[in-house]
Amino acid sequence: MTETPNSNRDCGPMLALLLLRVWLGVRAIATGIEKFSDSRTLQVPLLDAAGKPDSSGAVVEVTQKFYSLHSYHAIPDSMKDKFAQEPFLPAFLTAPYYGILGWALIALGIGVLLGIFTRASLFLMGLLYVSLTFGLILIKQDAGVSWLAIHVAMIAVALSLCRHNRFALTCS
Amino acid sequence: MSPRDPAADAEGLGRRRFLKTATAAGLSLALAPLRSAYGQGEPGAASGGEINIALVGVGAQGRVLMDAMLKIPGVRFAAVCDIWPYARTYGQRYLKKNGFEVRAYESHQDMLSKEKDLQAVVVACPDFWHAPITNDCLRAGHHVYCEKMMSNTIAGARSMVQTMKDTGKLLQIGHQRRSNPRYLVARNRLIRDARLLGRITAANGQWNRAVSADLGWPNHTAMTRELLARYGYGDMHQFRNWRWFKKYGGGPLSDLGAHQIDIFNWFFDTIPSTVIGSGGRDYYTGHEWLDNAMVIYEYHLPDGVARAFYQVQTTTSAGGGYFEQFMGTEGTLRMSENPKYTSIYREAAAPPWDDWVSRHYLAPQKAPAASDDDSSSANEKVDARETAELASYYLPVVLTKAIHQPHLENFFNAVRGKASLNCPADEAFKSEMAVFKAIEAVETRSLVTCNPSDFTA
Repeated sequence: MTETPNSNRDCGPMLALLLLRVWLGVRAIATGIEKFSDSRTLQVPLLDAAGKPDSSGAVVEVTQKFYSLHSYHAIPDSMKDKFAQEPFLPAFLTAPYYGILGWALIALGIGVLLGIFTRASLFLMGLLYVSLTFGLILIKQDAGVSWLAIHVAMIAVALSLCRHNRFALTCS
Repeated sequence: MSPRDPAADAEGLGRRRFLKTATAAGLSLALAPLRSAYGQGEPGAASGGEINIALVGVGAQGRVLMDAMLKIPGVRFAAVCDIWPYARTYGQRYLKKNGFEVRAYESHQDMLSKEKDLQAVVVACPDFWHAPITNDCLRAGHHVYCEKMMSNTIAGARSMVQTMKDTGKLLQIGHQRRSNPRYLVARNRLIRDARLLGRITAANGQWNRAVSADLGWPNHTAMTRELLARYGYGDMHQFRNWRWFKKYGGGPLSDLGAHQIDIFNWFFDTIPSTVIGSGGRDYYTGHEWLDNAMVIYEYHLPDGVARAFYQVQTTTSAGGGYFEQFMGTEGTLRMSENPKYTSIYREAAAPPWDDWVSRHYLAPQKAPAASDDDSSSANEKVDARETAELASYYLPVVLTKAIHQPHLENFFNAVRGKASLNCPADEAFKSEMAVFKAIEAVETRSLVTCNPSDFTA
C-alpha cells in the first residue's frame, strides 16, 4: 500500500496551537484580573435556618472578595519589599513595571486568546515572563522560576506552531 | 456598705428584717399576676425608659462595669457608694465627665435611705459584702446586678436567692459569658442543635496568670484602722488584696474559676456528681488562699459520663491563655472570651460541617503561611497510634461591645420587662456551689460528692 501524503490535512498542529493559545490566554487574563482583586470583611446578622436573625442576636464577620481599579496591586507587598532591596531593580524601573504589569497581562492574554498578531503577542508574553523570572532569580524563588520556565516553554512551542494558526482575528 | 458584720447578716434574719421581708414578700405575691410574661419587670422603666441606678463598689471591677454601662442607652447614674474616699471620688468625677452628676456615699444603707428614685443597684464590692448589700437593696425594692461570686460563704449565697424569691425583685449574677453571643451560638447552635461535637466525653478549662505583686495604694489615700474595722477589714493591705483572704473572698478558684466552672455547668446543663482536687499555698507566703489548684469534676450526662478538668495557676501564665474546652467523639470546641483562643476542630471521621460553614456559623481557619521551617515531615505521624489531624475552624461571631455589656443589657432589658434574666441568682447558685465543692475538695484533699440537694438554694 502506498501512504497518501496528508500533511496539509493534518489538523493536529492547528489544534495544539489553539489549545496552547487558549491556555496561555486564559492564564494571563485571569492573572491580570486577579491583580485588581481585594477582600473586605462585613459584619452581618447571623441567620438561622429559616433566614431569620439568630435568637442570640449574634453578628458574624463575613469576608467578601471584590474587584476594583482602586484595589490594583502588581505583586504582593512582601515580594515588593524584597525587590526593593535588590540593586539590579531600581525604583525608577520597578515603579512603571508594577504600573503596567496587570494591564499587560490582560492585553497580551486577550491578544493570544483571540489571535491578534499572535506571534507578536506570544513573543511579548514570553518576554514578560522572562522579566518576572529575572526578579525571582534575584530573590531566590526557585519554585517560581521553574513555574515560569514551563510557561515560557509553552510559549516557545506555540511560536513554533504559528504557521498552523487558525481562528485568529488578525494575521499571525 | 454599712458598718455591721456581713457574716451575721447572711446567716440569719433579725425580727425587724423578717417583718420587712415578709411585707415585701406579701406585696410581691399580691402584685405577681400584674407583672409581664417575663416577670418582675419595672413598670416605671417600661420599654426603653430611663433606669436610675447606683453603683456600689468603685474598684477595678466596678470601673469595668461603669464603662460598659455608660455605653448603654437609658441608664442614668444617680449615686455611687464606696467606703474608700479615693475610689468614691474617682467614680463621682469620672461620671461627671460623662454627663452624670451623682451623689457619693460611704454606706450603702445611707444611700438606700436617701436615694428614693433608684430602680436598680449594681454591686461590685468585695465578695463578703455581696450578700448583705444585695439583700438590703432587694428589700428596699431595687433590682440588683451583683458581681460573682455571689458570696464567700454558701449561707451568704443562699440568702441572696431567698431574698430574691421573697421580694420578687430581679437579681442577676455577673457570669457575663451567659449573655455573650459567641457563647450563646456555640452552646445553643453548635453543641445542642447541630451536635457537632458528637458525644462529649471530656472538658477542660484554665486561667493561668504570671506571678504578680500585691496591690498597693497611694499613701495619702490610706483609710484609718477605725474606718476599715467598721467595714470588716483588718488593714489597708487586706482591703486592697481582699481576694487572697478567706474572710473576704474565695481565692483564685472563686475569682477566675467561677466564670469557667459556670460554663461547664451551663454547657452540660447539669451539676457535677463528684469533684476531686489538689492545690496549695506554695508560693505566696503572705496570702491565705491557694496559689494554684487543679480539680476534676465528673458529670453524668444523658449520653454518658464526662469529666471536666479545671486548673488555675497564679505562678505561671504558660499553658495557652484562658479558655473552656469541650471534647467530643466528633469534634472539640475551645471557647474563650478572647476570640484568639477560640477554635473548633472536626475529627477526621466526623460528618462534614459544610452546611454550618455555608450559614456562617463556622469558618475554616486560614492556613498559616508557609515558612522555611515547614516541611512535609512536620505533619507526619511519629507514632502509628496517632489519630488523623483534626480540621480547624473558627467562630465568625463577633462581639463588638465590652464583654460585660450584653449581660448588663440583658439585666436592664429585664428591668424594663422586655427580657428574662440570663443568669438569675438561683441558676448562678448551682455554678457557685460547684466552686465551693471544688474548694472543699482541694482543702480536704478528698473526693467530694455533690448532692443535688446542696445545689438548691
